Amino acid sequence: MPICILACAFITNTLVVIFCGYNPIKAYIAAIDATIGSPRGIGETLVKSTPYLMTGLSVAIAFRCGIWNIGAEGQFLLGALAATWFGTKLVTILPQTSWIGIPLCFVFSIVAGGICGIIPAILKITRGVNEVISTIMLNYIAIHLVSLMVDGGPLQEASKTGPQSDPIAKWVILPRFFENHRIHAGIILAALLAGVLTFVLFKTTFGYKLRAVGEGAAAAQAAGISIPRNTLYVFFLSGALAGLGGGIELMALAPRLTKHFSPGYGYTAIAVALLAKLNPLATIAAAVFFGALTHGAFGMEAEIGISGKITWMMQAIIILLVVGTSSLKYFQDKKINA
Amino acid sequence: MLLEEILAATINASTPLLLAALGEVISQRAGVINIGIEGMMLIGALFGMVGSFYSAGLPFIAPWLGLIAAGLGGLLVAIIFAALAIKLRGDQVIIGTAITLLALGFTQVVYQRLFGKTGSPQSVPYFQDFDLPVLSQIPILGKSLFSHNIIVYLAFLLVPCVYFFLYHTQPGLRVRACGEHPKAIATVGSNVTILRSMCMFFAGIMAGIGGGYLSLADVPYFTPGMTAGRGFTALAIVIFGKWHPVKALGSALLFGLGFALDARFQAAGWEIQHQLFLMLPYVLCLVVLTGFVGKAEAPLALGKPYDQSA
Repeated sequence: MPICILACAFITNTLVVIFCGYNPIKAYIAAIDATIGSPRGIGETLVKSTPYLMTGLSVAIAFRCGIWNIGAEGQFLLGALAATWFGTKLVTILPQTSWIGIPLCFVFSIVAGGICGIIPAILKITRGVNEVISTIMLNYIAIHLVSLMVDGGPLQEASKTGPQSDPIAKWVILPRFFENHRIHAGIILAALLAGVLTFVLFKTTFGYKLRAVGEGAAAAQAAGISIPRNTLYVFFLSGALAGLGGGIELMALAPRLTKHFSPGYGYTAIAVALLAKLNPLATIAAAVFFGALTHGAFGMEAEIGISGKITWMMQAIIILLVVGTSSLKYFQDKKINA
Repeated sequence: MLLEEILAATINASTPLLLAALGEVISQRAGVINIGIEGMMLIGALFGMVGSFYSAGLPFIAPWLGLIAAGLGGLLVAIIFAALAIKLRGDQVIIGTAITLLALGFTQVVYQRLFGKTGSPQSVPYFQDFDLPVLSQIPILGKSLFSHNIIVYLAFLLVPCVYFFLYHTQPGLRVRACGEHPKAIATVGSNVTILRSMCMFFAGIMAGIGGGYLSLADVPYFTPGMTAGRGFTALAIVIFGKWHPVKALGSALLFGLGFALDARFQAAGWEIQHQLFLMLPYVLCLVVLTGFVGKAEAPLALGKPYDQSA
């Protein structure tokens, strides 16, 4: 099924390229050349996949457990914001060593993302607020909060010239493995997390409870599983993953937080998770695919001038096809297979 | 003087929000939650600008043709939405998110293809502000209330129309019933799929026109991503306005004030965190949702696909 969807999305995309008057063969050669044409391209693809993987895991976990968390974008941003705060301010009072700096920075982004995840959980549990609306609202609160902090706020760079933070301290920047390559330790961490999540979700009682609440709340409750408590866990887990994603992205690539730090990772994450059929391990493959799309689009833009934003169209078409072709049977199938 | 300017800017900023929100009120009252307003507005903004650009030879009609194109753009997106979410009963939230993503990509690709990547944005014929005779002469308020472009007046006139439709006509009653208890109205012979699709089409057209306002009246050009979250603000307005057209007008004005103050403080370069004004609508929306300030009751069947065969 995912193959058919990719094929359809590919055809639609080709039509758009042709309709816009570009040569699709040239476009795809440029895209392939940029992604798998060189070791550097492969590395860049992996680097670009990492935020998709982290936010994709966040969405996959939430959706799998019946929570419609649309807030990965905001959680990602708050994770990055907390990492920036730690990496530029707090770090100065701590010993200057990576062994303390990096793990603590992770903790900050996890907690920030988790808190951003818990707010809609509390609203849902205590006041019955639909999490779709509350997480969308929190996305915008987070976007403006980041803007507030780095554009005139306390986290703006010391010289106060641009809407960005100071670079984070050197000893909280994630290690890179090769000279002249951006492949960093965060990629490995994200992939490991996907494995751990798969194990937790499918091989432990804790994971079983989480899934049970998502698949049939009434049955789960009858079996003595607390719905509020597990809802809270899922929201925290989902928010923490996205938040850690933001932290990793900041600590690995952009040592500064800017106003437009996320080009919509949290929304693309929905496409990633759906394409992976909400399976954490398959999310790795989907994220790498989206990383390749993003980086390939850079190549296309540089080579033939078509806007790199065409990847967003492709992503959207994938989501629409997944939902459109499967709304009738896919979700029922998922429930039977799970 | 300052107050007059802020009032005028508030009205200008709330108009696109109001247009999109009025459409969304109707679609949500019919039980369809459309998260894709942002995308529909963006498509409307691009189509509006392109429509006006290609009819620039006709000075008076060009902006109108642009506005029609904007509405059609929104309608086109709404048709995709209706096919997937209403006919095929896909998840409305995911489809809405995808539609916004689709529009973000589409508008950027098409705009870059038509007008190139660099340089200043291409400007087009637009709706100009004019003084309403007599009314604009009213001291103090006249200039800020009655010196706008024609779309502003039409948008505000639409509020009582939507109110009358929803609460005082039979189709309006059907729309509301459709959002509360679709089965009931299917039992009395209405077609829920068609009714919801119609409401969705209206929401699409309105969001498209709201987007068109941005590129045909607010400023006379298109820039990629120019809606800047206004679609989601419109969603917040519908909730803050408790799914009621007149209350939606009130909250559109309130949120428009946020945009106006943000722009004002930014321009003045004041030492104040102007982003707070942009954040406020979303915080207010969350507060209203918690139900501590008045009761906000969503239509009962909101977001739930209706299965005709069941």
